[in-house]
Amino acid sequence: MAPGALLLEAQREYEKESQKADEYLREIKDQNLLSEAVRQCIEAAGYEHEPETQKSLLRAASFGKCFLDKFPPESFVRTCRDLRVLNAIWDYQIGIPLTFAQYKQLTIEVLLDRLVLRRLYPLAIRICEYLRLSEFQGVSRILAHWACYKVQQKDKSDEEVAHAINQKLGDTPGISYSEIAARAYDCGRTELAIKLLEYEPRSGEQVPLLLKMKKSQLALNKAIESGDTDLVYTVVLHLKNELNRGTFFMTLQKQPVALSLYRQFCKHQELETLKDLYNQDDDHQELGNFHVHSSYSSEKRIEGRVAALQNAVDEYYKAKNEFAAKATEDQIKLLRMQRRLQDDLDKPYVDYSLHDTVYGLILDGNHKRAEHLYRDFRVPDKRFWWLKIGALAEREDWEEMEKFSKSKKSPIGYLPFVEICMKHHNRHEARKYAARVTPEQRVKAHILVGELDQAADAAIEHKNETEMNLVLSKCTAATDSSVAEKINRAKAQSLKK
Amino acid sequence: MAAHLSSGRVNLTALREAGRRELREFLDKCAGSKAIVWDEYLTGPFGLIAQYSLLKEHEVEKMFTLKAGRLPPADVKNIIFFVRPRLELMDIIAENVLSEDRVRSPLRDFHILFVPRRSLLCEQRLKDQGVLGSFIHREQYSLDLIPFDGDLLSMESESAFKECYLENDQTSLYHAAKGLMTLQALYGTIPQIFGKGDCARHVANMMIRMKREFPGGQNSIFPVFDTLLLLDRNVDLLSPLATQLTYEGLIDEIYGIQNTYVKLPPEKFLPKKQGEGGKDLPTEPKKLQLNSAEELYAEIRDKNFNAVGSVLSKKAKIISAAFEERHHAKTVGEIKQFVSQLPHMQAARSSLANHTSIAELIKDITTSEDFFDNLTVEQEFMSGIDTDKVNNYTEDCIAQKHPLIKILRLVCLQSVCNSGLKQKVLDHYKREILQTYGYEHILTLNNLEKAGLLKLQTSSRNNYPTIRKTMRLWMDDVNEQNPNDISYVYSGYAPLSVRLAQLLARPGWRSIEEVLKILPGPHFEERQQLPTGLQKKRQQGENRITLVFFLGGVTYAEIAALRFLSQMEDGGTEYVIATTKLINGTNWIKSLMEKLEPPPF
Repeated sequence: MAPGALLLEAQREYEKESQKADEYLREIKDQNLLSEAVRQCIEAAGYEHEPETQKSLLRAASFGKCFLDKFPPESFVRTCRDLRVLNAIWDYQIGIPLTFAQYKQLTIEVLLDRLVLRRLYPLAIRICEYLRLSEFQGVSRILAHWACYKVQQKDKSDEEVAHAINQKLGDTPGISYSEIAARAYDCGRTELAIKLLEYEPRSGEQVPLLLKMKKSQLALNKAIESGDTDLVYTVVLHLKNELNRGTFFMTLQKQPVALSLYRQFCKHQELETLKDLYNQDDDHQELGNFHVHSSYSSEKRIEGRVAALQNAVDEYYKAKNEFAAKATEDQIKLLRMQRRLQDDLDKPYVDYSLHDTVYGLILDGNHKRAEHLYRDFRVPDKRFWWLKIGALAEREDWEEMEKFSKSKKSPIGYLPFVEICMKHHNRHEARKYAARVTPEQRVKAHILVGELDQAADAAIEHKNETEMNLVLSKCTAATDSSVAEKINRAKAQSLKK
Repeated sequence: MAAHLSSGRVNLTALREAGRRELREFLDKCAGSKAIVWDEYLTGPFGLIAQYSLLKEHEVEKMFTLKAGRLPPADVKNIIFFVRPRLELMDIIAENVLSEDRVRSPLRDFHILFVPRRSLLCEQRLKDQGVLGSFIHREQYSLDLIPFDGDLLSMESESAFKECYLENDQTSLYHAAKGLMTLQALYGTIPQIFGKGDCARHVANMMIRMKREFPGGQNSIFPVFDTLLLLDRNVDLLSPLATQLTYEGLIDEIYGIQNTYVKLPPEKFLPKKQGEGGKDLPTEPKKLQLNSAEELYAEIRDKNFNAVGSVLSKKAKIISAAFEERHHAKTVGEIKQFVSQLPHMQAARSSLANHTSIAELIKDITTSEDFFDNLTVEQEFMSGIDTDKVNNYTEDCIAQKHPLIKILRLVCLQSVCNSGLKQKVLDHYKREILQTYGYEHILTLNNLEKAGLLKLQTSSRNNYPTIRKTMRLWMDDVNEQNPNDISYVYSGYAPLSVRLAQLLARPGWRSIEEVLKILPGPHFEERQQLPTGLQKKRQQGENRITLVFFLGGVTYAEIAALRFLSQMEDGGTEYVIATTKLINGTNWIKSLMEKLEPPPF
């Protein structure tokens, strides 16, 4: 007799409260076959079809296990679970008569697929739950299948189906509403698909399907909601091909986010469209900017550039941007003058700034023309003086500079003259102007030209400590000790008071 | 090698590691030898994640810069394009691929890695060009927030400010939200979100939405950050305009720091000993990496520049004293100990030499008259003196044609400090600028107006003084050596953005409701539910950690101010800083300029 069989007998006797149980058990144990007996009982249970028989075999195994020290529990537990699954599918209402071995060969996944194919969703879900399969592999997958089947039920209204699906699926992880929606769409139920997509949290999944279903407007909304600009672009370009231009623009009009993105796209890819967009918005400021842009980037001839700028002027006026309009008019005037200068003087002038143009003219000794531009463009006096002495110094035209300095009272004072002369290493000229600076700037001017002694005198005269310290800081011990001494004396004196 | 990333309260090495892992996984997908074709802009940021050695380990044999025409020859199996998703780059790639087929070279596999995100738009473009099918792997590498230092993350998205505030293109905000999701996946859900500004609101909305998009992925990581503060750059347009006066800030203002590297004029870095030998002067600029891995730099980077000199001379004394020690070393044991410390001492000495040279370079500039005059005017504006009339200094600078960006910074600063300029003043400046620098700058001026940097005073009321007083933005008694307030970073001006963070931590924004209403955009608070068990139980005296995210850029001076707050003994909050881009006034204004060039004749 096999040890398993003996164990089964032992258990039966035990239930009858007969001492034979002990006898049988001893017999097995003496041969050291108890664990073998348990194993046999468990295995045998797998081959039995009657739940009662299975149960008594398993009970015997369980009984035997009590007398064993370290029998690993897995095989027992697994068999119990598997048998429960098998018993369920052997039920006459299901009718899948798989043997234990067949079942093991097939794997649970395949069994689940078969159940799904037979639309035995509740049983499949119960099995998943019972076997504690991960949601992703198990319940979610089956629910998704169920939902995909559900959408094909034509007798129910879209609302009912969508509601039923959402009720069952909720926020189950791993559920892709977009897949279910795609199935619904394949079955020709567009409205249902849209309803289902509402439950899809990932916009990236919603948008492509909505586009496929030609629900571009909705797709646009979803794309914008997601914040993913790439998705928005995709929809916008899709819309552009799908709609006629007017409708397309109207659609964008309602979606500022999409509109600005499309503008960016046009800026790099389709400049003419950009203009149309601004036109439609009556955005005259941007239209003005647009023309300025094209005056630089797409026009080569002066006439073309002037014409583009003229367009800009008109737009700026319409935008009530008087400043920009006037500035642009000035630029047109400047361009024309520069062209004339270029022709007359055979030197490049076009596209220099007004400042650089005047500077260039002075540098070449064309003082009259420079003067003319300065008046014509109402350059502020101060700036013109800075500019002119800079150019004259670069030209080393000291005579002209002196003449200019005496033409009227300098609006910038005479310190800049000193500075500019020193910058061009002409101490001699610088001294002339140092004498003419205002008293407040005298110390600085003397320092600049290197007349520390006079600087010291001026500072002492001003009784200005900061100035005195400034002079002192410029004194070197070797050469200017007398100056330093003078200042220190003065400082000491002022301290006494 | 990336030790500085783990030096702070939050270990940012994990973020870098995640980035490296993702990169390795992609490279291994393309089996065999490889050549990478780089979108040039990406090389700098990538360098902070992975050096060439990592690429080499994964069979990357050649690297090219993406440019039009035919790809250079390379005997490799795979060609991988690392690019940002931009249409113009797609056209170049298409050209590369198409011209490749004509040559009868061995067949090479093409792949494309989009950084930071795959784009349907770009793939459509490749499809239109007929090359989409040529790519075996088309993937994305979500390099959003790149760790720059132990407490600093940047997206290095150059044009983020312009796109968000000028063009209403919120792509970079989407990336920012994605970056924050990645951060939360690694460091736990951030329970509290505060924000100020339209962009901040948008990012917060996207984060909440994205959280819903990942159902089931209930984050089970214990949250590291307590609070996220999202700040729009346009809430505080002032701070980047002012000249930064911290050591690091000045290095950036003068030489420009890029991806933690700075290039300096080489003259000051000659090796001392052979300097006289009549050798050729080095013409290559000296390139240095600046981060907190360098002990000395970590100590001085955030100090006011006027306080750096004394630290450097103190260090010099300590180091020479340490070297003197060798004369006292008598026993073999003592000598051995001295020698073991030698590498560290030598590193310290060379670090000191470098920073002394940099400090000298900067001092030459900060002691110049023009720097002083410029700073004086800035400070007058910020403290509210004569902001409503044309400024003489600015006028003179224009007349002498100083760099345009300097002028624009001054004029914008004045406009911001006066809540806009009067029509007459504004028009005068604009006219002066156009006449001097050229009419083509009219579009730049328009951009500055659109961004709100330059504007017409509409209401008769100037709000800036109210903001200045309530937020204590101007401090007269600033202590540069031993600061007691964040205003030391600009020698008087306390950056508004950082004040907002400071007041949020204590006593809370409710105290400044009035000012918040004046500043642009909504302010808000959101809470993200944490599963029970992940709620923090704080130890007595343990600081809170706040992540401050600057949308549209942050300056080094602002970072320094936040670090100062982190270190305050009774501060109670430590800050980690994230941004779309590290900026200074110059590169910021530059990003807003419209480059119009006259056509060639």
